[in-house]
Amino acid sequence: VPCVFCGLPKPTNITFLSINMKNVLHWNPPEGLHGVEVTYTVQYFIYGQKKWLNASKCRSINRTYCDLSVETSDYEHQFYAKVKAIWETRCSEWAETERFYPFLETQVSPPEVALTTGEKSISIALTAPEKWKRNPQDHTVSMQQIYPNLKYNVSVYNTKSRRTWSQCVTNSTLVLSWLEPSTLYCVHVESLVPGPPRLPMPPQKQCISTLEVQTSAWKAK
Amino acid sequence: DAVSVLPAPQNLSVQSTNMKHLLMWNPVTRPGETVFYCVEYQGEYESLYMSHIWIPSSQCSSTKSLECDVTDDITATVPYNFRVKAMLGSQTSAWSNLEHPFNRNATVLTPPRMEVTEHGLHLVIELEDLGPQFEFLVVYWRREPGAAEHVKVVRSGDIPVHLETMESGAMYCVKAQALVKAIGRHSAFSQPTCVEMQGESLPL
Amino acid sequence: QEFRFGSCQVTGVVLPELWEAFWTMKNTVQTQDDITSVRLLKPQVLRNVSDAESCYLAHSLLKFYLNTVFKNYHSKIAKFKVLRSFSTLANNFIVIMSQLQPSKDNSMLPISESAHQRFLLFRRAFKQLDTEVALVKAFGEVDILLTWMQKFYHL
Repeated sequence: VPCVFCGLPKPTNITFLSINMKNVLHWNPPEGLHGVEVTYTVQYFIYGQKKWLNASKCRSINRTYCDLSVETSDYEHQFYAKVKAIWETRCSEWAETERFYPFLETQVSPPEVALTTGEKSISIALTAPEKWKRNPQDHTVSMQQIYPNLKYNVSVYNTKSRRTWSQCVTNSTLVLSWLEPSTLYCVHVESLVPGPPRLPMPPQKQCISTLEVQTSAWKAK
Repeated sequence: DAVSVLPAPQNLSVQSTNMKHLLMWNPVTRPGETVFYCVEYQGEYESLYMSHIWIPSSQCSSTKSLECDVTDDITATVPYNFRVKAMLGSQTSAWSNLEHPFNRNATVLTPPRMEVTEHGLHLVIELEDLGPQFEFLVVYWRREPGAAEHVKVVRSGDIPVHLETMESGAMYCVKAQALVKAIGRHSAFSQPTCVEMQGESLPL
Repeated sequence: QEFRFGSCQVTGVVLPELWEAFWTMKNTVQTQDDITSVRLLKPQVLRNVSDAESCYLAHSLLKFYLNTVFKNYHSKIAKFKVLRSFSTLANNFIVIMSQLQPSKDNSMLPISESAHQRFLLFRRAFKQLDTEVALVKAFGEVDILLTWMQKFYHL
């Protein structure tokens, strides 16, 4: 139903929240409309093209977010989005985002970390985070393919000596040898992407204990 | 514009060490009065394309001090001009210009301070934090005749970095130099520091 | 840390410093651009640029930005209180430009011509707009330019 009279206040704080190219538009309800059954309609725009396009999944919705990952999946482009509030026959002006550049603004989550331990060693296997995909069975694209110079900052904390050291690595495996046996080590890993400053993601944390030293009979052999 | 009766500050100079740049000048004195100073700069772009444009220094648009940290103003490896004027109430002096433009590639680079420790059999180094512009070339070797040198580039200071896993009972030495890619220069090496690997002896 | 645009090598520029400078003024500058239906640095200008072409294209674009965009846009920047960030970008573009020496060898003519066509695509779009509008738009697209340059930056 087209709104007749545009007197409602606009939605506020409209912004994209983007993680691994999953781009979700968020906003706050218009101020002063508590208890009122407001719905929202979203449109998006590709910078450099001609017209605003309807977000088909976000017409007259009640929620205050809209997943635009499909619409904004070509990360060579930049985008705008806008949302307006509707209540009965009244509606608000459009509230519009800043220019959104997924390639530069998406947050890259830390890699998957798999730890295996020996008597005095820990091997760390890192798997790059996956790019968002529409359907689970779709082909998987690693964020490493999008950002070839993606790096990881690995910090290793010895809980016994309470000392930490770190290393910046590009490949996916790292072996720490000659550790102290029967000691709990905690590994923190975060992703580092060159380019403008990005919102940080909490690092991936895992702890594992090195094995006990083998019995003395084994040693006398 | 206030009439310029105050003398302009004299002897402007820049002292730069490890990419920290300090602009200094002689005081303008008025008995019983506090004279303030204002600093402005222009990079090569401004002096080439728009010489009338001067940019207020981020730290010293009005300061009583006789020096100004202009590190955050110098963000390219090009010549920078600086000027300072004195201010006392409504009185201001003429601008006084730095005689020769300053380029950050003239900074003095000192050997980095470092702390070498051994965690069990791990050789770990922690270097002085000199700021984001700095990397460090770390060289380490086993102290015995004919031992090979190993080299590692450490990206940042103030975080312990694992160099190598060593053999128990051996003595290892480490030295480091600071690298600043932004100006394509490096410091001299620090004095070597040697540590003995305590650690547990190898199982038979 | 250096740029390698094909055979052209550029040292002495810390790209994160440029990113930080632009990011400080990104929203201020891009909000001034009302003609969102036009993109000057279209994908076709910067997509699949070969290493050999990259030095020619980088030289043309940076020269245009220094001599036309920055020079005429400066008066607006003062009122946006982003003079310092602007100065960082402009002075580092000068450092890059001063080290870019595209080869003048005849054998490179087809490549330099291909790069020139890409640059003309950009400049034609620029000239089709009112000058003030074009300046604001070009400056707002420095993130697109830096994203392309990042591909040639090696730590």
